Amino acid sequence: MRRGDGPTRLVEGDSERILSKEECDAIVRRIIGFAKGGAETRVRLQSWWNGELRWARNRVSLASDRRDIRVEIWRTVGVGRGRVSTNQLDDASLESAVRAAERAAVLSPEVLRQPPGMPPIPRAERPKTAIWSDATYAATPETRGEVARALVAPAEAQGMLSAGYLEMRAGSLLQVSSERLVDPCGPLDTPYAKWTQAQCSMTVRDAEGTGSGWAGRSGYDWTKIGAPALAARALEKCEASRHPVTLEPGRYTVILEPQAVADLMELVVASMFRTDAEFGTGPWALVMDDVLHLWRTKLGLKVLDERITISHDPADPELGILPEPWMQPVTWFDKGVLTNLAYDREYALEKLNVNPALRGMTGYRMSGGTTSIDEMIATTTRGLLVTRFSNTRTLDSKSLLATGLTRDGLWLIEHGKITKAVKNFRFTESPLFVLNAIEQLGVPVPVFRPVKNPYEQYQPLTPAIVPPVKARDFSFTSTIDAI
Amino acid sequence: MTITRRSLLKAGALAAAAAALPRPLLAQLGRHPEPLPPIEDPRLQALASRALEAARAAGASYADARLTHTCTRNFSGAGTSDAESMEVGVRALVDGYWGFASGPVWAPDELARLGREAVHQAKVNALGKPRVVELAPAPVIANGHWEMPVATDPFELSPFEVQDFLGSLSRYVRRVPDTSVTRNYAVAMVQAKAFASTEGSFCTQRRWQMSGELLIELELPKEHRKGAFAVDSLSPAGMGWELYAADRIPRVREHSLREEITRGLEALKEDLLLPVKPVDVGRYDAVFDARTVAGLVDETLGRATELDRALGYEANAGGTSYLSDPFGMVGSYQAGAPSLTLTAERSEPGAVATVKWDDEGVAPDAFTLVKDGVLIDFQTTRESAGWMKNTYTKLGRPVRSHGCAGVSSAIEAPLQQAPNLTLAAGREAHDFDALVRGMNSGIAIKGAGIDMDFQHASGLGTGQVFEVKNGKRVATIASAGFLFRATELWKALQAVGGDASLRRYGMQTAKGEPAETCYHSVTAAPVMVKALTVLDPLRKA
Repeated sequence: MRRGDGPTRLVEGDSERILSKEECDAIVRRIIGFAKGGAETRVRLQSWWNGELRWARNRVSLASDRRDIRVEIWRTVGVGRGRVSTNQLDDASLESAVRAAERAAVLSPEVLRQPPGMPPIPRAERPKTAIWSDATYAATPETRGEVARALVAPAEAQGMLSAGYLEMRAGSLLQVSSERLVDPCGPLDTPYAKWTQAQCSMTVRDAEGTGSGWAGRSGYDWTKIGAPALAARALEKCEASRHPVTLEPGRYTVILEPQAVADLMELVVASMFRTDAEFGTGPWALVMDDVLHLWRTKLGLKVLDERITISHDPADPELGILPEPWMQPVTWFDKGVLTNLAYDREYALEKLNVNPALRGMTGYRMSGGTTSIDEMIATTTRGLLVTRFSNTRTLDSKSLLATGLTRDGLWLIEHGKITKAVKNFRFTESPLFVLNAIEQLGVPVPVFRPVKNPYEQYQPLTPAIVPPVKARDFSFTSTIDAI
Repeated sequence: MTITRRSLLKAGALAAAAAALPRPLLAQLGRHPEPLPPIEDPRLQALASRALEAARAAGASYADARLTHTCTRNFSGAGTSDAESMEVGVRALVDGYWGFASGPVWAPDELARLGREAVHQAKVNALGKPRVVELAPAPVIANGHWEMPVATDPFELSPFEVQDFLGSLSRYVRRVPDTSVTRNYAVAMVQAKAFASTEGSFCTQRRWQMSGELLIELELPKEHRKGAFAVDSLSPAGMGWELYAADRIPRVREHSLREEITRGLEALKEDLLLPVKPVDVGRYDAVFDARTVAGLVDETLGRATELDRALGYEANAGGTSYLSDPFGMVGSYQAGAPSLTLTAERSEPGAVATVKWDDEGVAPDAFTLVKDGVLIDFQTTRESAGWMKNTYTKLGRPVRSHGCAGVSSAIEAPLQQAPNLTLAAGREAHDFDALVRGMNSGIAIKGAGIDMDFQHASGLGTGQVFEVKNGKRVATIASAGFLFRATELWKALQAVGGDASLRRYGMQTAKGEPAETCYHSVTAAPVMVKALTVLDPLRKA
């Protein structure tokens, strides 16, 4: 079918599942052509495809192929700006969307345009890294079906119940402004980019519901997910976690597997904002300066164990990149010293006399050590091995004290050996306390942090490469029955 | 293009209403694209049947198709923004395996492609070990149409009028000294949906959803106390603009929104003037307000009675259920005290999960999940009702779906989603204050947030906690929380508020992989429970 002058490939079937650069450019030209009365038109055009497979009770419960489009249009009229979105690409739909954006712009009661006097953002090199894997995009429903059967088989053979999820995902993104059409690299622009993401995770439970094991991994490249190893680990954890004993709540030495470290770190990621600290909120405010009447922050102070360096290199495809031209590697904590907190452009110009903003912690690598988890266990007199945390929530933003649960495998270690499976605990602890009570660190690895779109600023789960951590005095406050 | 705010204002309401007109998206029903017709256009049945025919020809034993047209409008101080989209999804069953395919284009060839693709997705998995799906029988809906009754379609209002109304609420709040409005926005949604199945059902529906947030802060400078409250009655509802404009909404608010603001500020001030004392860890008799009870009901029995969750279908996502042996527990498991009865439906006017037909074309029935403390049923779809066949037959009950299949748009595959839930009111006409008055010594809890575990078996609640002495709230307990096990909590139920104290709240839940978000309402009364464990949630071991 043909609808206006729009691209037809998405419609006609299987040839392409996401929009190409040429298609995106043509769509944007049509949208900008519909704008009336001059002034800026901004377009953010995204398409995505998902190949998915879900299973439970050892059988595939749903396999799917899903595609969609999102066109967001911003129109400036006078000093107002209006925004609308649609998922239709024909001329009539796009033109009426532009009109609707113009009407919304008129309605906008606030001046949304950049205040006069702001200097232009300097041009800079964009990261060239591609988050694209042909293997991820090429994986067929047949492949997912075969993989799922292979992942379920060992668990089923042991009489266990396996449930899990496989997803291959691809998308495209283009964001341009009518004012910078030729060389789109203004602060809000993104040249055409396409990306892939893959994830695999599974939970193996015994039929009586006395044990549960989990393993998962995500990343842009399906070939690096290592699904069979995940299945083996989930099954092993399930078997080893059956018939847990109740342990008294209290403070324990813990060995946190990398997944558990990333689960805790999510609370730190959400706290890394400079303006919060200068308002006296969050963990990074230090003390009110009574003379200057402003909050001093902990920037430049040693706040974590000196073995901990946390940084983000946007060129690392495992961590995702962002569509910002000024994007440089950032070190957030350098050998335990707080070195950076995120700020926006207004803050940068006004307070720091620099131009670009500093993005939040959108992906990170944590330094580690060389101790394997086996060595950590062997050197522990009494402690707990934690697979992962679930349902974590910050209770106190000042200390980052949080609560949450252990899930899918918790074991008691006595005299260098795992001796018992333990019933899950609720914890009350701060990740900052943990990162100041480190005994040993292992080799950092990528963990399960699936993202919907690696070009989005804010992810519910932040891509991470983290080590296993052994720490003292982790506070578990109550036993829970859930398995 | 020279429209300006002023020229629109000058042109008056007519022009302003034109600004709110829906946009003409295109659909292809015949050979050529045309402006999208209303969902009840009979030609949509022919369009949907292209997918069903293709699926059947490719080998599906059953298939269904959904078409959705979704409009959302956000109103806030910074203006309005619109989102409008069209979706189509096709689901096919081959040898007990489900396949699904979806996309944004309404056109005959595309529907045929989706039908074939859904079968392909199913077939590659049917290669493995056998799986049996026995869909519970459902009456064929030959050609049904339903439109949710709303008093005022928010999409027909001038956005100016809505913005001015929101602005007037902020100004109304600020008349009171030391107040501020930290959030004030409204979201309207209208979705037209068509459903067709190979069994011959075809039905179309149009439903609205309205919600908003109004967050008000109050600071008492002399007392150095500060507090905030969110206006309760703006949680998601199956309603139009009347959610804001109505003077009274049964079970939501007894008076106008302004009156609710005034009363809320008075209550907050009263709370802030109470002395503050530290928590004394221990067990206390406790009164919960309706909002807390709605959250507790939803997070315990609401989640735990999802049959797919109880059988492990959510094990790798949100988790399982403490009702871990559904077939053995139905009819005998003591889920709470005899005063606990929990019912479900999708028909209450104004509730947010209310529909005429669910996303499998089933007309949902009103059913009881817990009767006089005993678990007697689960939430089901056509597939999961089939899992209950032996249990239902043994109990002499019909095998039927309760109509709990749901999607937020046709891009998503149907999952079992929560229906509207109602905790049955007590016989006596108690409300929150009356329950507090009847208490010699204990605590009262308002607006608590609940953190559950992944079997919904135990939780931690945090909210406003008050000390009660001789029937009066005498102090705020700083940094207090409560720990509970679901079944113990409901067995400790002493009193449930009366019919007049029932309040309905719209809730959002996410389920599945990839996560799908749906809405439902929970109606609950204030309750009193005995021996609740109260602690300081900030205290480490």
